[in-house]
Order: sequence, then structure tokens, then C-alpha cells
Amino acid sequence: MDWVNKISITCFAASYLVVLGLEVSRTLFNAPYQRIVTIGLTVAGLFAHTVYMAAQGLLDVDANGIWLSNWTAWCFAASWIMAAAYLWVSLRKPESVVGIFLLPVLMALIVAGIVLRDSASFSVNEAKSGWNMIHGFSLMLGTVSVALGFVFGLIYLVQANRLKQKKPQSKLFRLPSLEWLQRCSERSLISSTLLLALGLISGIAINLINQRNGNAVATTIAWSNPVVWSSAILFLWLLLISIFNAIYRPIQQGRKVAYLVVSCFLFLVFELAIVWIAGHAEHQTKTQPETTKSTTTVSFIAQPIQADRIAKEEDR
Amino acid sequence: MKLQVVGCSHHVSNVEIRERLAFSETQVKPFLSTFYQTFSGCEAVLLSTCNRTEFYAAARNPEELPSETDMVEFLAGQCGITLIDINPDLFAYRDRNAIEHLFSVAASLDSMVIGEAQILSQVKRAYQLATETNPTIPLTHQVFQSAIRVARRVSNETDIHANRVSVPSVAIGVLAKQIFERLDNKRILIVGAGEMAEETLNYIRSDGGRDIVIANRTLAHAEALAETCEGEVAAWDQLQQELSIADLVVSTTGAKQPIVDQAMFESIEAQRKQKPLFILDLAVPRDFDAGIAARDNVYLYTLDDLQRECEHNRRSRESQYPQAIKIIEQETDQFFKELRRRNSGSTIAQLKQQVDEVKQAELTRLMNRLEEVDPKHKQEIEQAFNRLVNKILHPPVKSVQSDSTAGSGGLLEALKKLFQLND
Repeated sequence: MDWVNKISITCFAASYLVVLGLEVSRTLFNAPYQRIVTIGLTVAGLFAHTVYMAAQGLLDVDANGIWLSNWTAWCFAASWIMAAAYLWVSLRKPESVVGIFLLPVLMALIVAGIVLRDSASFSVNEAKSGWNMIHGFSLMLGTVSVALGFVFGLIYLVQANRLKQKKPQSKLFRLPSLEWLQRCSERSLISSTLLLALGLISGIAINLINQRNGNAVATTIAWSNPVVWSSAILFLWLLLISIFNAIYRPIQQGRKVAYLVVSCFLFLVFELAIVWIAGHAEHQTKTQPETTKSTTTVSFIAQPIQADRIAKEEDR
Repeated sequence: MKLQVVGCSHHVSNVEIRERLAFSETQVKPFLSTFYQTFSGCEAVLLSTCNRTEFYAAARNPEELPSETDMVEFLAGQCGITLIDINPDLFAYRDRNAIEHLFSVAASLDSMVIGEAQILSQVKRAYQLATETNPTIPLTHQVFQSAIRVARRVSNETDIHANRVSVPSVAIGVLAKQIFERLDNKRILIVGAGEMAEETLNYIRSDGGRDIVIANRTLAHAEALAETCEGEVAAWDQLQQELSIADLVVSTTGAKQPIVDQAMFESIEAQRKQKPLFILDLAVPRDFDAGIAARDNVYLYTLDDLQRECEHNRRSRESQYPQAIKIIEQETDQFFKELRRRNSGSTIAQLKQQVDEVKQAELTRLMNRLEEVDPKHKQEIEQAFNRLVNKILHPPVKSVQSDSTAGSGGLLEALKKLFQLND
């Protein structure tokens, strides 16, 4: 099975990049077999993506019982779901150029996965706890859901703006109907709220278990940690929107939903930046034994600490 | 094969002439039957639409094909008019020009509205009526099947059919689809019951619109229109209430002042709860105050906006014209290439048969004289004869085939003359 090991990030990243190029080219000219090639390349990219993740062990549960146990695995899994979502949309709405909006987000996730390749694994002491799996997986799906909502919301705003200004629809730049985009935005809003709620609850559960087991120094969360409060703010924001969405009808309609899902995404980017900076800072601090005691955070959104290193430091 | 077409169309004839030369479906078969009685050995197809009447005739040999005058006289005679009345308003094409013309017609390049979709089905129907009258029409079969294929190719490879060009079709088929995913679950309010409302309703119904309510000052007109579309009728004083629940509004009244002003719209906005509203104001003067367009989640399109979209689409179709013409030219070349290949094939088959007969006769004569030769040697002699014939025929056959494919056909004619072969 030599060919499996020969599949690299370049294989699927290049496939998606060519698909993005083809999507852009669709706005300029029509060519025969353009659609078949686009679908074929997406399927090929997804296949290479899957094989790469499997071959590199990114889909394996690590020694601590964590699935998607580092940033790279997390980003690549999220980008895989985005690619699958793109395939679904391009089959459902073949005439629309949704890929122009969706594929850059997908590519950004792949780039993030590459950049964060050297980051340490996420750390937990409660190895093999089901909570860890739920925590990581629901946060990853929640992130993808917010990202998809952002894409649909953005397309909604472009389409609504064009219709308001009465600009004729170019036959090469077709977008889905406002009704469909609104429905997709709403669904992604609800699903991201539920998934992030699950992620948050499981994070609290992990923290409480760790505190009860006396692992406070190494793996419990300081409640004042920026990661904690930014996660909480994001969740509260989503919860607030969802409650309003359920009880106050005007907010469900038209551009408001689009603005809301776009704002959620910006919130999420901010949140992920905090998680990464906090985690990164901690990772650097953990390598210096004299400052170990001063940093005790583990994020609600899984945070990179090398468990074995912490354990050694504690022993010392 | 020889093909000729005579006829009239909106390009060369006015509507009076077109009306006089028009045929209904029931008249086509008797027309063709009479033609076959007069001109045997021919094949014919009659295409008659509101914009054209075209009479195609094909024959294998040139002498069997009626002249242009014969065809025009026959056509005029069947319509009960004199040649002098119609002659300046007719066109006639032969062979390549006739093929090119039919391909253009089928691909909707010759239509009044370029890219309109009905013409292809009309061409198919004309051919179907011809085959029902005379089932054995191999020449026109070849021509019309090619025309249908060419029309599909033009449709697939260009965007000539892609954009709608009439106001109601653009409004419903293009704009409404950019706002709504489906119409069957939308409340559709028609304000006014005129022709434009009726035409727009046809598109709404064909796109799945079912929940239709018609409001008109004259209730009887609204009821009559509602009956045709299985819709409801709303009294004029219920307009405000209907507006508060509608998703799509088509307004086509003849009112001199706007029937919905900003104040009235503001009063229903709270009830609408920001639900998107698509308003098609097809009335002149306008029925909706222009300021309503600025409201959130309201998409107000007037007749001018739609006409701009139609004009844009028309230009877009026209921009596809050169590409479509290129396809027609390619396909016409291909058609004649194929025709020549078939012709050369039958001539070459005749030549081979003729030579084979000569070879067989000589071989029989020789074998009779060589009775004492053993069968093995006889077989070798026979094989030698076959090889000789094949080797002699191979270069000229190849030359004729490539000459025919290239389009000259001179060698084929020479071959026919040299070996006294029939067409």
C-alpha cells in the first residue's frame, strides 16, 4: 500500500484549489464538462483527504483516549466536512457558484492545519473519558456549522443586495434563492448553538471531574481564563440569538438572520484566536519549569498541552 | 440528394401574406397527399407556424425534384391564391442553403424572438405529420433528424435559450426564483384582472403557484380570472389585509394614482413581521409608491425594471448568435460530408460488385479449362485473383473516399463515368 503513504496534503489541497479556480472560471466563461470536472475533482480531493488523514493517524484515538487530538487533525476534519458540504451544495444547486464563498473557508482551515502542525497535542488527565470525545467532536462540528452559516449568510447578503439594487443576474454568477439561503442559515444557527452548548457542557464536566480528582494544577480550568469567558460569551450570544429566533418572528426573516450568522462567525474566529494564543502561550510557558505553577489553564475548547511533560514537571 | 424549400416568414412577408399561406394541422396531411399525387418520387414536409410557412421537397435525382416555380404554384394553388399575389413575399433555397436554413429555423436562430423554445417542437411535429402521410421518406428523415440534433447542440453549447425575454416570464421564471425556492407554499396576491395579470398567472401556475387570491375593483372580473386559475377572490376593501399576508404581489391595475402608498404599507408592516415580499408592479402608472422599495425585505420591481432585465436578456441571447451560426455552419459541412461519404460508399460497393462479377466469370472460365488441377492449386489461383482485384482497387477506392470526405466529389463522378456506374 505504498500509494497511501504517497498521498500528501498537496494532493487534496491542490484538488480543492483547482475546484476553486474552476468555480471562479465559471463566473467568466462556460466550458463543456466544467461541472463534471469540478465534481470529479471534489470527490478526488475528498478521497485523498480521507486517505491522508487515515494514513497519518489523524483519525486515530490517541493514547489519552482523545479523537482528533491536535490542531492539525481538528482543522483537517473540519475542512473535510466543509468539502463534503460543498459537494452536497454543488449537487443540490448545480447552477450556483456557492464554492466561491465556501472554498476559501475550507482552504483557510487546511492552511490553519498546516501552520499548527507543530503545536502540541490537546491534553487531558481523564484519559478515555467519554466527555473528552464529546467535547472535542461537538466543538469541531459546531465550528463547521458556524462557518457554513457564515457562508450562507454572506451569500444571502450578496443576493439580497443585488436584488434590492435591481441588478440583472449574470448567467455566470448565479446564487441560490433567498428562501433557501435563509433556511440554511437558520439551520446552521440552531445546530451550532446546540453543538457548542454540548461542547461547553462537556468542557465544564471535564473540569469538574478533574477538580474532584485533585488534578487542579495540571488540567483544571481557571474560571478567569480568557478562553473560558470568550467561550461562554460566544455560547451566550448564540443562545440569545436562538431564543430570540424562536420567540420573536421578525428576527427569523431576511437579512437579520444573515447578519446574525455572520456575526457568530466573527465571534468564533475571535474565540479560536484566543484559544490558540492562550494555548500557544501556555505551551511555551510549560517548557520552562520555573513558571509552571503560574499557568494552570486548560481550555473549554480543547487546549494544547503535552500531558506527559506536565506529568514529569509535577513529579519534579 | 436534392433539397428545396419555398415559403414565407416574418423576415420577408407581412402578416396578411402569412395568414393566407398558413395551414392548420388538419390541413397538412391533405396538402402532402395531393403533392405526392402530383409529384411522385419526391418527399415533402410542410412546416406552418404563426410566423412562417415552409414547404420542403427532397428527391434522390435532380430531375425528380419539382422546380421552384412548380412548388410555389402548388403552394399558392392549395391556399387558393394567385402566384402574382405572393411571389415577391416568398423565399426559396436549394441544397446547402436549404439545409442551412432548416438548421437555423430548428435552432431558433431564424425566429422573431431568437432562442424561443416552441419552434423545435413545431419542426418535430411537421416531420411527424410528413411521416404519417408517407412513412417512407428516408431523405427528409436524414435532413430533419440532423436539424433536431443541431438544434439540441446549439441549445447545449450556447446560452441562446437561457434567458427569458418576456416581462411575465422574467418576473416569475427568473426574479421570483431568486427570492423563493418554491411557489406552491406562497400566498400570491394578484391586484387587477387584466391581460397582463392573466399572462403572469399562467407562469405562476406553471411554476407551481397554487395559493392565489385576486383582488379587483370589479369583482366580476376577479371572479372570472379566479375561475381560470382555481384561485380565491378578495373584495377590494380587503386589499390591505391581503397585503399583510402575501409573499408575492402582482399588480396590474389601470389606476391613475398609486393604490398602495407608503403610509398604507407602513400600517401593514408590523403584521408582516419582516417576511420577505416580492412586488411586481406591472401597472403604468405605478400601483405601488416607489418609496416602498427601500423597506427592509421588500423587493419591488416595476415594469421598467423588468423591461431592462428583458432587454439585457435579449442582448445576451443575441451575443450568442455568432457562436450558434458557427455551429450551424459546422453541422452543415458535416451533413454534406456524411452525405458524400454515404454516396461514395454505395458507388464503391457497386464498383466492387461489378469487378467481382468480372473476376468470378473469368475464374469460372479458367477453372473449367483446368479440370485436372488439384483443389489446393485451384484455391491458390482463386486467392491470387482476389488479391489482384483488391490490390488494383485499393488505391482508387482510397482516393475516391478521401476526395469525397474532403468535399470535392470530382473523383466519384469520374469513377461513375469510367465504370458506368449508376447513382
